[in-house]
Amino acid sequence: MNEKPLLELNNLSKIFPVKGGKKVHAVNNVSLTLNKGETLGIVGESGCGKSTMGRTILKIYEPTSGQILFHGEDITKLSRKQMLPYRKKMQMIFQDPYASLNPRFTIGDIIEEPMIIHKIGTPEERKAKVQDLIETVGLKPDHIRRYPHEFSGGQRQRIGIARTLTLQPDFIVCDEPISALDVSIQAQIINLLEKIQRETGISYLFIAHDLGMVHHISHKIGVMYLGNLVEYGSSDDIYKSPLHPYTKALISAAPIPDPNQSRAKSRIILEGEVPSPLNPPPGCAFAGRCAYATEECRREKPEMVDFEGRKVACFLYKAGKKVK
Amino acid sequence: MDNLEAKLFRKLETEEKNDEFIAVESQTFLQAAMKNFLHNKRALAGAIILVIVILLAIFGPMISPYSYETMDTTLKNASPSSAHWFGTDKFGRDIFVRILYGARISLMVGLVAAIINLVIGTVYGGISGYIGGKTDMLMMRIVDIIYSVPAMLYIVLIMLIFGASVTSVMIGISISSWIDMARIVRQEVRSLKEQEFAMAAFVIGASGKRILFKHLLVNTVGQIIVTVTLMVPQAIFTEAWLSFLGVGISAPLASWGTLAQDARALIEIFPMQTAYPMLAICITIFAFNFVGEGLGTALDPKAKR
Ligand SMILES: Nc1ncnc2c1ncn2[C@@H]1O[C@H](COP(=O)(O)OP(=O)(O)OP(=O)(O)O)[C@@H](O)[C@H]1O
Ligand code: SF4
Ligand SMILES: [Mg+2]
Repeated sequence: MNEKPLLELNNLSKIFPVKGGKKVHAVNNVSLTLNKGETLGIVGESGCGKSTMGRTILKIYEPTSGQILFHGEDITKLSRKQMLPYRKKMQMIFQDPYASLNPRFTIGDIIEEPMIIHKIGTPEERKAKVQDLIETVGLKPDHIRRYPHEFSGGQRQRIGIARTLTLQPDFIVCDEPISALDVSIQAQIINLLEKIQRETGISYLFIAHDLGMVHHISHKIGVMYLGNLVEYGSSDDIYKSPLHPYTKALISAAPIPDPNQSRAKSRIILEGEVPSPLNPPPGCAFAGRCAYATEECRREKPEMVDFEGRKVACFLYKAGKKVK
Repeated sequence: MDNLEAKLFRKLETEEKNDEFIAVESQTFLQAAMKNFLHNKRALAGAIILVIVILLAIFGPMISPYSYETMDTTLKNASPSSAHWFGTDKFGRDIFVRILYGARISLMVGLVAAIINLVIGTVYGGISGYIGGKTDMLMMRIVDIIYSVPAMLYIVLIMLIFGASVTSVMIGISISSWIDMARIVRQEVRSLKEQEFAMAAFVIGASGKRILFKHLLVNTVGQIIVTVTLMVPQAIFTEAWLSFLGVGISAPLASWGTLAQDARALIEIFPMQTAYPMLAICITIFAFNFVGEGLGTALDPKAKR
């Protein structure tokens, strides 16, 4: 098996220039890989750059530096026109089911549009495909002529999913696709996404707050803090034995699914403010809130190192051995 | 126990179904807007008046036995009668028919202003807002410069060059009238393009043109219509005012402003000759404003219905 990974990020950064000549370091030197047919979960607090990373991968935002390899091909510097063939292969499901559908389009128009743009099929073939997709995502055929505002959040998210499936992509960025939905509906959408993955072998970059849920659907997990990837490895490793102090705090804060199997570890409460990505601290971004922080942490930035089969950026772990 | 669990399970299922059921009764945006508009009495009255004015302007002169220039020297300054509804002027011309011709000119001026607003204002503002950055800054500076010169100055300059005519007045009014529209559309587009549906269009590969026209501008249609409806009476008023000052449309053609101007000399003896065109101006301008306001509420996406 010498296949290239579906997606590879090498030191990807996105800096937003803002008023007053300042810069927001929304994504900082992130490197990771996503294999075909797998799901990579990305977790982190609000504002840590998860959406920005997802959007930069799809070139909604121009990357500031670093590299995006898709099927081994460097798409980082491709122009809007050159990206067109790749657009069929990479799609996005958005966080807000109310804002992500054009209110003036019917459901049929929304699902058909990608085919019109890429000049796929005759009008009849396209209509048939729309019907197919509507059923795939669990909506009714007569919904096609209706407008988005007539649907509930969960239904809208299904419409958004149908739109992404139109072009038969092999990669979808799911940007918190369920966080705006009722709990009872969240599971339905997750099941739908999992079903699609089983049937098509699609890969997901799944962005979420909730580590428990991400663990459930992901093969790998990346933990982000203030634009940095701080820990990255297999889903079980990260969930069951987190290494980075921030990951530990996140996991201890997550609700325990089964009360009988209470966690042995005590809860670690996250204290202190998240520093602003406007002027990130020079050393470890987490130093201000970390119980293990040392002088070194405040002075220097920890590099990503391999540790017990995963990657972690923390001075407690130095290339293979734990320091403390 | 098993039974109970089965029941619970069933119940949850129906609940879920209900939750997923269509949230709002089926009604397109336009249907809802229409309903709102029709319930607004002022707006409805304005709309009816406008329809009457427009129909009269188009068909009135065709049906009338008089033209705007036929003079009846035997019948100068006549009072209203069954033959001459509003009487005749100092040359014995039928005032009613002249007012109808005046309506044609006023509505024409309004229509041209509306078209210029729609085409130039919307496209210019849309492009500026969508592209953003330096292009946007440059485009908005240009607009500021155009705007900094009073509209009257353009009109007077155009008239100096091309002479006083309906066309000159319309060109003069058009030069700066689209700027408000451009600014409003730019602002809207700037906020809409950050919305996720615009990103979704980008991700499926839509071109900039497609995103701007099919996704962003269609969502500003409400504002665009309202701005146009409120722009039209301004243009009508400007034309009337210019003609009244004697720098606008010249004889024998008569706009409402010219009619009022012509009758002014006799205002103490025949006040109604001045009053008719002025009333026509007022009624039309109010009607447009009422309709504009009504559309504003009806098409406001934030308004509850
Ligand atoms: N277009 C932009 N211009 C300037 N700053 C931005 C822009 N988009 C995002 N940011 C900033 O970048 C940082 C990361 O934002 P991002 O939306 O990626 O976070 P997130 O992890 O997705 O958060 P959430 O969980 O709330 O969605 C934030 O500080 C945000 O203010
Ligand atoms: S590098 Fe230092 S401050 Fe950062 S997480 Fe590790 S121990 Fe804490
Ligand atoms: Mg986000």
